[in-house]
Amino acid sequence: MNTSYALQLSNINKQYPGVKALTDVHLRVSQGEIHAIVGENGAGKSTLLKVISGVISPDSGEILLDGKAVTLKSPKDAKRAGIAMIHQELQLIPELNVVQNLFLGAPLVRRGRLLDRAAMFERAQAVLAPLDPAIPLAAKIRQLSVAQKQMVEIARALLANARVIAMDEPTSSLTPAEFEKLAGIIRQLSQQGVAIIYVSHKLDEIFEVSSRATVLRDGKFIDELALSDVTQQQLVHKMVGRELRSWPKREYDRADTVLSAQSLSWGERVRDVSLTLHKGEILGIAGLVGAGRTELVRLLAGIERADKGEIHKNGKRLRLRSARDAIKAGIALVPEERKVDGIIPMQSIFSNICLPVFDRWTRAGLVRRGALQLRATALAQQVNLRPPKLSRAIRLLSGGNQQKAIICRWLNSGADVLIFDEPTRGVDVGAKQEIYQLIEQIVNDGRSVIIVSSELDEVMRLSDRLLVMQSGRISGELKSDEFSEAAIMTLAIPHEVTSQPS
Amino acid sequence: MSSRVFSDTGSPVSVRDLGTLIGVVLIFAAFAFVAPSFLNAQNLINILQQSAINACVAVGMTIVIISGGIDLSVGPVAALSAVVAATLMVKGLPPSVGFVAGVLVGTACGSINGIIVAYCGLQPFIVTLGTLSIYRAVALIFTDGNPVLGIPDSFRNALSATFFGLPMSVVIVTIVAILAWVMLRKMPLGEYIFAVGGNEEAARVAGVPVERTKIFAYSISGALASLGALIVVGRLGAAEPVLGNLWELDAIAAAAIGGASLLGGKGGVIGTLLGAIILGGMRNGLTLMNVQAFYQLLATGVVILLAMMVDRLTRGRR
Repeated sequence: MNTSYALQLSNINKQYPGVKALTDVHLRVSQGEIHAIVGENGAGKSTLLKVISGVISPDSGEILLDGKAVTLKSPKDAKRAGIAMIHQELQLIPELNVVQNLFLGAPLVRRGRLLDRAAMFERAQAVLAPLDPAIPLAAKIRQLSVAQKQMVEIARALLANARVIAMDEPTSSLTPAEFEKLAGIIRQLSQQGVAIIYVSHKLDEIFEVSSRATVLRDGKFIDELALSDVTQQQLVHKMVGRELRSWPKREYDRADTVLSAQSLSWGERVRDVSLTLHKGEILGIAGLVGAGRTELVRLLAGIERADKGEIHKNGKRLRLRSARDAIKAGIALVPEERKVDGIIPMQSIFSNICLPVFDRWTRAGLVRRGALQLRATALAQQVNLRPPKLSRAIRLLSGGNQQKAIICRWLNSGADVLIFDEPTRGVDVGAKQEIYQLIEQIVNDGRSVIIVSSELDEVMRLSDRLLVMQSGRISGELKSDEFSEAAIMTLAIPHEVTSQPS
Repeated sequence: MSSRVFSDTGSPVSVRDLGTLIGVVLIFAAFAFVAPSFLNAQNLINILQQSAINACVAVGMTIVIISGGIDLSVGPVAALSAVVAATLMVKGLPPSVGFVAGVLVGTACGSINGIIVAYCGLQPFIVTLGTLSIYRAVALIFTDGNPVLGIPDSFRNALSATFFGLPMSVVIVTIVAILAWVMLRKMPLGEYIFAVGGNEEAARVAGVPVERTKIFAYSISGALASLGALIVVGRLGAAEPVLGNLWELDAIAAAAIGGASLLGGKGGVIGTLLGAIILGGMRNGLTLMNVQAFYQLLATGVVILLAMMVDRLTRGRR
C-alpha cells in the first residue's frame, strides 16, 4: 500500500492571470486514509480541490490514481476515474426526490430504454440505509435537512464507485451531533478502503477525524504530517507561518465617533452586534467564512435590514431601508462578490463609477456628462486605473482595476464611511499593494473605513482595531498591540466539538 | 471573455446599429432589384408609416427589455386605452381629452405591470402574460365585445395630417424616439435602466432605485402602446377591443433585430427603429411582389433568425 497511493499529486502548478494559485503542490493519500488539507483562506485549498475534481486543469504536474497517471480534463473524467467531490453548496436538485438525485445522469434501465424504478429504489435503499435509514427515498431533496442532503451526496458518490471522496467544509452548517454522525460515516468509509480528503476550518474536527494532514500556505506545499505527532498550536503555526510583525500606528481621535451600531441582529446570521467607528480609523472585522461578517456589513450598508438594533451616524439615528439610504448618509460598501454585487459588466467604467451620483449631477434633467467625466477621469488617475479609458466596458478590466473603479465610485459619491468586504479577493499582487495604499489614503483624508477580510495578514496590516466575529456574534476586540494570528484564531474558531487529539 | 464590438455608451450610434443599418440597406437593395417601385419616395414613406406603430410600441418594449424585463401585455394595453379614449370621444368629450385619457390608461396599465414585477418578485414574463389576459378581458367587457364607432373627424384629421410630406404617425414616432433616446442616453434614469438590466444586485448596492426604475420602464411601455393604439384609432375611425393582437411579438422582434438582449442591459432606440423598418420593409416589399401572406410570415421568421445568427457570429469575433 505504501508503494502506490490511492491518489497522488506531484508538482502541481496553476497560474491565474496575475496570481500564482498553486506552486509545486504535493498531495499523497493512501487507500482508506482520512487526509485533511489545511491552510488559511486563500492558501490554495479550493484550487487544489478543483484540480482533484477535474474542474480546472493544472498548468503542470502529475496526478496518479493507484499509481497510474491520469488526466482529468473535466468533472466527468474525475467521476469516471472514481473521484467524487462533496461541495459546500450541495449539488442536488431540490425538486427531485432522493432516488432521482442518486441516479442523476446515470439511471438504471431495463430493456434498453425504460427506467428501472424498482431496481433504482432497491440499490438506493442498499446504499443509503447504512448511512441514514431515516431518509425517505421518495422525499424531495428540499424537504431534507442539510445533514441528510450530505448523506445523499455521499450515497451518490458510493453508487458511482468512488474510491476517493473529497469533502469541502462538510460541517459548515452541521450541528455538533450531526458532525459526530458524519465522522462515524467517514470512518466507516475509510474502513471500506475509500480515501477521504477532508477540508475544514475547524481544527478540532480535523484532529478528531483525520490521521494525516497536508498544510498549504500561499499556494505552496508546506508540510505533510501525521496529526498524532503535532498539537493544534503547532499546526496553526505551520498554516500561518509568519512571525509577528508590527505596523506603524496612525494617529486619530478616538473621541470622534462617526458610526455606531447598537445590538444589531438579523436572524441567526448577526446576533446582538454593537460597534463604534471613529473618524480616521480603520476598523477590521475578522472571522471565519460564515461567521456573519459579510452579513453585518450589509446591514450597515443598508442592503439588508436588521430585525433589531440601531445604527447612528454622527450622532443621528439612521433608518436604512435601502443601500440608497445608506449612500445618502455617506456609508458605502465595496462588496465581496464584485461580479455579483459590484459591477454592471456591460456598462462603461464611467457609468459604473458615476452610477450613485447621476441624479446629483444634472442640469434640466440631463446628466452633466462633461463635468462628471472630468471628475471621474481625475479619480481614475488618483487610483491609477489601468487602462484609464473610461468609455470601455468595465468587464474588460482586470479584477484589481475593477476594484479600483468601485473605490472611485465611492470616492466620487462623497461617502465618509467606506466598508470593504474582502477588498483584495481575486486581485493580483501588485494591485493589492495599491489598494492597501488607497485605503490608507482614504482614512488619512479624514474618512473612516471598515475592512472585512479573511486574510489575517491583510486585516492586521491595515486595521487600527480589530473585531473578531464568530457565529454571528462579536467574540472579542483586539487593539493593535494585541494583534496576532493566534489571538484572532482563538476568538474566531468555534469550540463546539471537544477536541480529542489522538 | 467574448469581446463585444461595441461598448462605448458615449457615441450616439453604436457599431451594432451600423450592422442593423447594413441589414436595412441589403434588404432594401434586394427588393429594389426585384420590384423597382419599392424605392419610390412614396413607397418609402409608406414603409415608414407601416412601421410607425410597431416602432412606437417597440421603443417602449426596448426600454423594458434593457431593464431586464419583457412586456407581453402591450397589445391588450393598446386595445384598452383605445376603447376608453374612443368611448370618451364618442360621448362628446374633446378629442384632446380622449387622447390624454387613452395615454393615461396605457401608463396606468404599464405601471401596474411594473409594480407587480418590482414588488412581488414575479418574473416579468409571467406577470405580463397574466395582465395580457386581464387587460384584454377588461377591454372586451367594457365594450361588450363590440367596436367603438363614430370617432370625431377632428381626431381623425389631426392624426392623418402630414408634416412636410411626412405622415403624422411618422412625426409622432420620431419625436417619441428622440425623447426615448435622450432619456436612455442623457438622463440618470437611462443609466439606471441599463444598470438594473445589466446587474440588478449591483445596481441596488450602488444606490439605484431599482423598483422605481422598473415601474418607470413598464409605464413608458404602456404609454407608448396606447400611443400606437391611438394612431390606429385615428386611421381606422374605430376602436376595436381586439386591437393589438400579437403586437408584442412584432415589438420584441424589432427590439431583438435592433440589438436588444432579452437578458437585459443591452439595446437601443436607433437599433429598434431600424429593426422595425426591416420588418415593415419586408412586409411592404413582399406585398409589392404579390407574395402571399403565409409566405410573408415565413420570410419574417427567417429574417429574425438570420439577424440573430449574424449578431451572434459577429459578437463572437475577437
